[in-house]
Amino acid sequence: MKIVVTVKLVPDPNAEKRIDAQTKRLIRTGVETVLNPYDEYALEAGLQLKERAGGDSRVTVFSMAPEPLRETLRKALAMGADDAVVLSDPGLEGSDVSATAYAMANALRKLEFDLLIVGGLTDDSSTGAVPGALAEHLGLPCVTNARKADHVDGGLEVERETDGGYQTVRTPLPALLTTALTFGEPRYASLKGIMGAKKKTIATTTLGDLGLELPVGAAGSKTELREFAPPPARGKGQTVEAADGPSGAQAIFAFLQEKKLV
Amino acid sequence: MKHVIVFVEQRQGQTRKVTFELASEARRLADALGGKACAVVLGEGASRLAEQLKSYPLDTIYVAEDRDVDTYLLDPSVDYLQLAAQNVGPALILIPNTLSGRDVAGRLMVRLNAGIVADVVDVQVSGDEVVCVSPKLGGALVTSCALRPSEYGIATVRPSAFAAAPGGSGAEVVALEKSAKSYAATIQRDVEEGASELALEEAPVVVAGGRGLGGPEPFETLLTPLARALGGAVGASRAAADAGWVPYNLQIGQTGKTVTPKLYIAVGISGAIQHKVGMRAAGTIVAINKDAAAPIAEFSDLLVVGDAFRIVPELTKLIETAKGHLS
Ligand SMILES: Cc1cc2nc3c(=O)[nH]c(=O)nc-3n(C[C@H](O)[C@H](O)[C@H](O)COP(=O)(O)OP(=O)(O)OC[C@H]3O[C@@H](n4cnc5c(N)ncnc54)[C@H](O)[C@@H]3O)c2cc1C
Ligand SMILES: Nc1ncnc2c1ncn2[C@@H]1O[C@H](COP(=O)(O)O)[C@@H](O)[C@H]1O
Repeated sequence: MKIVVTVKLVPDPNAEKRIDAQTKRLIRTGVETVLNPYDEYALEAGLQLKERAGGDSRVTVFSMAPEPLRETLRKALAMGADDAVVLSDPGLEGSDVSATAYAMANALRKLEFDLLIVGGLTDDSSTGAVPGALAEHLGLPCVTNARKADHVDGGLEVERETDGGYQTVRTPLPALLTTALTFGEPRYASLKGIMGAKKKTIATTTLGDLGLELPVGAAGSKTELREFAPPPARGKGQTVEAADGPSGAQAIFAFLQEKKLV
Repeated sequence: MKHVIVFVEQRQGQTRKVTFELASEARRLADALGGKACAVVLGEGASRLAEQLKSYPLDTIYVAEDRDVDTYLLDPSVDYLQLAAQNVGPALILIPNTLSGRDVAGRLMVRLNAGIVADVVDVQVSGDEVVCVSPKLGGALVTSCALRPSEYGIATVRPSAFAAAPGGSGAEVVALEKSAKSYAATIQRDVEEGASELALEEAPVVVAGGRGLGGPEPFETLLTPLARALGGAVGASRAAADAGWVPYNLQIGQTGKTVTPKLYIAVGISGAIQHKVGMRAAGTIVAINKDAAAPIAEFSDLLVVGDAFRIVPELTKLIETAKGHLS
């Protein structure tokens, strides 16, 4: 089984984020780049499915990212992916969701796979629109928010999270799957994995290899960031030490009464 | 973009409050754009719900009372929405920012060659331009993003961002024709769980529990009675959902739901950034935590330092007594 997992490279979610007032883009200097946390879950799912399928199954990670960030993908290789492909091109800068999904889909089309696993969300831009858009561009059935997946009759049986509970869904392959965080914690890279990753390939593709018909980058985007501002600040409130249950409860009750919430 | 189309999520004729919020906002936006306000209702029970939607200020309600919508994963919904959008003409499409709303939005974006703005909390129209306001980077920034002039634009809208305002003179109901396509991803089983009387995203009060509760029972014995006394719903941190103490759909935060209740009570929750982004917009935040130095101290209006097991039952009693005096 051939599996491709998409991984976005994002600024460390725990670092403070700032936007450049001029370019209106995220300032990346001085902030470490990491694998989008959600995509680590997608990779974990890919590695589990590869192990269960056995044989000559492979996991390839794919990322659209600026060339200087490509080495960040070693971590995915250390976790167990077999190789990586990066789509890098200055012409992609400033792409919005629709341009990103279009460029990614065309690069993914050049890779052979039975299953494409995509993370549920990105930590930095969070539209969640990329998976559905990829499925449309590639003409794949699209099963989202998977918490469990099993091979059944040449296809997959997937248990997926829904807004109100869960569903069991069957899909033939090839298909696109997105993972929920309930799929399982991503594994740590072993020492052997880290050593082995040094020898694995990270191939680069550029726009020249894709021959796109439509523009990408800022020119191919359908949205335009106008303004940004910090949200209204929420100050630190009061702290009350409760000597016992009743006094703690009384403190809250009085506070709620004062705010007219009870 | 001239008209406005609302995607109505429904199940057996039942929908969430966000539907009525979007139907009301659609009217305002359609008037500003000089077009019609429409809604699309799909699946079993759609016709019944369309009748109910007539008391909102819509012009046309497109309906497909089609079981396939409930049998096949999303594909029929995307087809019907595309068809409705083509019938209506150039439009701004409002989709609830929920798990399934997001899935539909990404696919429709490609079908309609549209731009998309996600997690929108406000929309402004000036001339033929539509500008959407949405929090980004986990709420660290609030952005204004324009949908460039084009035939179709999509906004996924945060529940509770707009007020529901009934009114209108009864929209026309139009049936959508079924597509001849066959679909691949079939739903074998569809289970609703933890579906409390009140949807978490719409509850005026949320009482949420975390790892500090130590197991599933306190959610039943401590939080549920408090939530009930306050007329609210129970939620949870990821630690609690991951431990299997509550279903995942009660999880609040970056990878769970975003809630904006008037009152949020966090019980045994430390207040990690990923939790904070799902509840920071609540009106008032009260925390009960053993640890005065927990991160939640930094953004709660009141932190009571103490043992939740002792405080919560007493608080529930106080609230119930107060209610008793009133009634
Ligand atoms: C990619 C990613 C996405 C994530 N998404 C989410 C998300 O959507 N939502 C989310 O919530 N988290 C999310 N997290 C996890 C988040 O980082 C925290 O781990 C999680 O929120 C912690 O949950 P908690 O506060 O219940 O547990 P803890 O951090 O363990 O806090 C428990 C608290 O309970 C207190 N306590 C203990 N006993 C008592 C008692 N008897 N009475 C009162 N207080 C007591 C303790 O002092 C402590 O502060 C995500 C993490 C990652 C990496
Ligand atoms: N530039 C990118 N490179 C690789 N994968 C991406 C990229 N952008 C988005 N994705 C994938 O799409 C998912 C959803 O992204 P988004 O729709 O931007 O929230 C992510 O979890 C990734 O798996």
